[in-house]
Amino acid sequence: MRRFIVNRVLLSVITLVILSIIIFLGAQILPGNVGRKILGPLADQKSVDALNAKLGTNRSLIVQYWDWISGVFRGHLGNSAVQQRPVSAILGHAIVNSAKLALLAFIIVVPLAVLGGVYAALKEGTVRDRLISLGGLSATAIPDFVWAVVLIVIFPIGLGVFKPVATAPPGSNFFEQIYYLLLPAICLVFVLFGYIARMARAGTLEALDADYTRTAILKGLSQRVMVRRHVLRNALLPTIAVVATQLGYLMGGLVVIEVIFTYNGLGKALFEAAQKSDLPVLESGVLIVGIVYLAATLIADILYSVLNPRVRVGSAS
Amino acid sequence: MASPEERVDALRAQGTDHQNHLIDELRFGKIGRREFIRAAAIAGMALPAAGFIAGCSTKRDSVTRPDAPQRGTPRPGGSFRVGLLVPAGALDPVLVGDQSGLGVIGLSGDYLIWSDRTLTPRPRLAQSWSHNGDGSVWTFKIREGVRFHDGTPMDAEDVAATFNRLADPDNGSNALSALSGVLTKDSAKALDPTTVRFTLEAPNGNFPFLTSSDNYNAIILPKNYDGNWDKTFIGTGPWTLGHYRPDEGISLRANKNYWDPARQPLADNVEVIFYTNEQGMVLAFQGGQVDFVQQFSVSGGRAALTDSDVITTELRSAAHRQIHMRTDQKPLNDKRVRQAIALLVNRKVLVDGLLATKADFGNDSPFAPVFSSTAPGVAQRDQDVRQAKQLLAAAGVADGFSIQLDTWQGFEMPALAQVLQQELRAANIHLNLSITDSASYYGEAVFGNSRWLDSTMGITEYGHRGVPNVLLGAPLESKGTWNAAHFKNKTYDALVKDYVAAIDLDRQRAAAKKLQDLLLDEVPILFTYFYYYLSGTKKNVGGVDLTAMGCIDVTRGGFV
Amino acid sequence: MTTTTDALATAAGPAEPHDEHHAQREQLRLLLRSPIFIVGTLVVLFWIVCAIFGSVIAPKDAYAVDPLNSLRSPTGSHWFGTDDIGRDVLSRVIVGARGILIVAPLATILGTVVGTALGLVTGYFRGLVDNVVSRFIDAFLALPTVIIALLAIVALSTSKSAVILVIAVVFAPVIARTVRAAVLQEREMEYVSAAQLRNERTSYILFAEILPNVMGPVLVEFTVRLGYAIFTVATLSFLGFGIQPPAPDWGLQVFEHYGLLSGGYWWPVLFPALAVASLVIGVNMMADAIAKAFER
Repeated sequence: MRRFIVNRVLLSVITLVILSIIIFLGAQILPGNVGRKILGPLADQKSVDALNAKLGTNRSLIVQYWDWISGVFRGHLGNSAVQQRPVSAILGHAIVNSAKLALLAFIIVVPLAVLGGVYAALKEGTVRDRLISLGGLSATAIPDFVWAVVLIVIFPIGLGVFKPVATAPPGSNFFEQIYYLLLPAICLVFVLFGYIARMARAGTLEALDADYTRTAILKGLSQRVMVRRHVLRNALLPTIAVVATQLGYLMGGLVVIEVIFTYNGLGKALFEAAQKSDLPVLESGVLIVGIVYLAATLIADILYSVLNPRVRVGSAS
Repeated sequence: MASPEERVDALRAQGTDHQNHLIDELRFGKIGRREFIRAAAIAGMALPAAGFIAGCSTKRDSVTRPDAPQRGTPRPGGSFRVGLLVPAGALDPVLVGDQSGLGVIGLSGDYLIWSDRTLTPRPRLAQSWSHNGDGSVWTFKIREGVRFHDGTPMDAEDVAATFNRLADPDNGSNALSALSGVLTKDSAKALDPTTVRFTLEAPNGNFPFLTSSDNYNAIILPKNYDGNWDKTFIGTGPWTLGHYRPDEGISLRANKNYWDPARQPLADNVEVIFYTNEQGMVLAFQGGQVDFVQQFSVSGGRAALTDSDVITTELRSAAHRQIHMRTDQKPLNDKRVRQAIALLVNRKVLVDGLLATKADFGNDSPFAPVFSSTAPGVAQRDQDVRQAKQLLAAAGVADGFSIQLDTWQGFEMPALAQVLQQELRAANIHLNLSITDSASYYGEAVFGNSRWLDSTMGITEYGHRGVPNVLLGAPLESKGTWNAAHFKNKTYDALVKDYVAAIDLDRQRAAAKKLQDLLLDEVPILFTYFYYYLSGTKKNVGGVDLTAMGCIDVTRGGFV
Repeated sequence: MTTTTDALATAAGPAEPHDEHHAQREQLRLLLRSPIFIVGTLVVLFWIVCAIFGSVIAPKDAYAVDPLNSLRSPTGSHWFGTDDIGRDVLSRVIVGARGILIVAPLATILGTVVGTALGLVTGYFRGLVDNVVSRFIDAFLALPTVIIALLAIVALSTSKSAVILVIAVVFAPVIARTVRAAVLQEREMEYVSAAQLRNERTSYILFAEILPNVMGPVLVEFTVRLGYAIFTVATLSFLGFGIQPPAPDWGLQVFEHYGLLSGGYWWPVLFPALAVASLVIGVNMMADAIAKAFER
């Protein structure tokens, strides 16, 4: 068991290093130079050159990379090239916001999707099953901006409920903040429901089919007790894995929803950093998203193998 | 009791030649009342005197614009909430280059002169000013008894230090675009605690505007200022720093020791709230989260334009889009082709359709109707497809041609490009549009490394300015760094020199007329419209003053 | 295939080609009967027709601007209303099908080809090649897709081919993962060891022996990814980095007009958004039915 964990951690670290190199080089391809982007097109060329020298953008790539990575290890993420504020302050704020939205979305969607998936599995092959499976999948397939637009047209514009922006005015209490977050959270529920439900459904079907379930039926246990005691626990396994992978998406991939709803989350911060060539924010931000994703997948894998010994030995799929 | 004529004569005796010249122009109906006040103020005449003289005249303004409706007297006390877009960079008066940044620094800082909504200079920290014979040396009288927020007194040395700091190329100030060629880092000198003398590089008739709120970096800072403005918000202005939350907003408190008895802050504090985009800001405004938004555009704020709870303020401004054409590339190097393209454009459709009538027509030169020095009487170019085709035939391209037009995804520029594309098709001219993001469009912003400066045709956004000097220079002068049209015309360069040096309105207008005619003929750049500055307050809000530059004065702002 | 059927097969001798053919035909027939497949195909066919004959079907010219008539709500002369410079929304929605139906399938095909090749190589060779390439694939998967696509497009400058290339590159790793898993199973099969004993070239083993047997999962991946491709193209256009004006691309239309929603101008946004949704659902229905058919 320990060897497995150590192994996976090592692999994750290697992946992380490769990721950091990819994003660092990727950010360098952006056109235009940083100084010019900050000062704007009408600024004096001398000022631009001075700023570039100050930011150290003329040093060799390897030096800049090492500077950045060693800084990250020590917890110094540097200053944003555009905002003159520490990167950690900007990203910290963004991460907290993304976490709030992700939490709200999860609280709503996970119970809903698990129940839906289990129900669909129990009614396998019926119309209700197809409805839940297909409906869920279609909902997932529809781009998030379509959901956002449709929901905004129906609710704040059509019915006058909920808000078309997700950031509550400063000084709002806890409940007001939740109210503002509801519409984007509902968007996310539509986007995530299908995938989680499908996993729960698959897990339930597999559990229903398993030997120990047959034994339980032979023993005369009622379906409800059986579901509760055996099936549910095993249906949750793939769900945990899925939820973990979705965490990466929620923490940095929500660009569209955050832009439409004007919410200062991580996705929007990264998007704007890419637009403005704010390399420190972009590079560190993407690295953080990568870390979250890999950590989440790692924990999911570990949990999965702890609860299901058969996986450990075989190759990861 | 002296009669009005006697009093005017008395004022004449005190006035300079230039000021007397203006009075003559007013009397003979060559300029309107408002223009007189404006020009006289620039020339250093005290405003009450100018107003009095103007009141004695009966000539109507050649340029009229209704003032924003008065809303009654606002109540004192409470919090006034202002909506701004997130400032683009750090809040440092020397470096600020965006609308939100300038809005913020103008709340805590004061300018020598406030260039109001009609572009009339109003004294603030400067009580009066005058110039020498040819306008190359300007002397300002600085107000006494003004203190910075930390209690230290403000004097002429602070003023001189402020301008020398802005003019010093090593500081990389945004103000350099307006000040280079006019001031250097040694130009300003404090003669005594209340007098500052500016020795200019060349005579400049519009100099006071360069010390006004139109040169928005120029809030007066302490002589020992060395950065980190966003920690202290140091200045002499009506609002002091309470709490600054980057990316979110600012809490400001009323300055109980503010020097201006006529503009004591009504509200107890001002809450500035930042928004990441215009749409979010307008939504929040409509929803009652803020009482006033600094600015919105037609494309981003249509909702506000049709909302009955919102009072829209429209200020005539000089903001525009430049559609440049490479005068050194075939077939655009033939001015007949450029004229033809200008004649294919239907300006009415642009103003009424794209901008919901919120714009003045442009006549292919930087001389916007809002400038007092714009020469009247130059015929407005209109659409004339027939003549356009004739010109193209004469130039040998009756069958049309294909060229690329570059611009970026901002404001109404993509829409403008698409409308142009369709209008030019009438003469078989095919525009291939290349619309990218702003970073790709501007590139390195130097010739050879920028779509903006290298493209055959392009659309670029230009914001408002108090005087056309900068607009006449960098985009059009032979050595101009923003000369996307690659326009090199010696006559033009000489005429611009004449304009800049002209001190009285008459000479300015004469030079302007020559420039306007030349540009109408050569047409290196299409100026199709000058759009209004739009701002909004809720119905129950009054007393807000602002300028087309975006400077906001909410000292008398509150709820009615 | 479960172990029981394997055992049966070896006991009864190798399956007759005749029987396999029969099974496939049966699968196809069930597929064609499935209502989900039919509905999905109809929707997709509708949009394909729009893509090909759009300029003929559309009631007005999709590119004709008319700024004085901008933002008119849906009426008799403009069923879907007009957009911010007066163009007919209905015509633009119809003609807009072409762009996305060219870019998305091309991107998916390219991505599937590259991803399958990667999957075959890593799955077959294992060892160092597998480890190194898999680490790169993992790194790619940990990056937020949209940001990567954005960076690439900004660097390559917006154009249809840039979008196709970028989406293909973003999808290839995911497809490679799935193909690799399938190849891992196949390489243990007897026919592979038989080919190795015969000293066949590696490329022959990969492409002539293994590939046909993993076509099932490849096809399923292709159809699933096609849905994602449509999604991603629309999203990139929505963010302003995909197909450029004046093309009547659906995502672009939403991007150009979503700021007007708060003013009550819902029609230039809702109709293109629904178009995207319908196409994606249609493709997914087809994909779902195909996957089910292969399961049997």
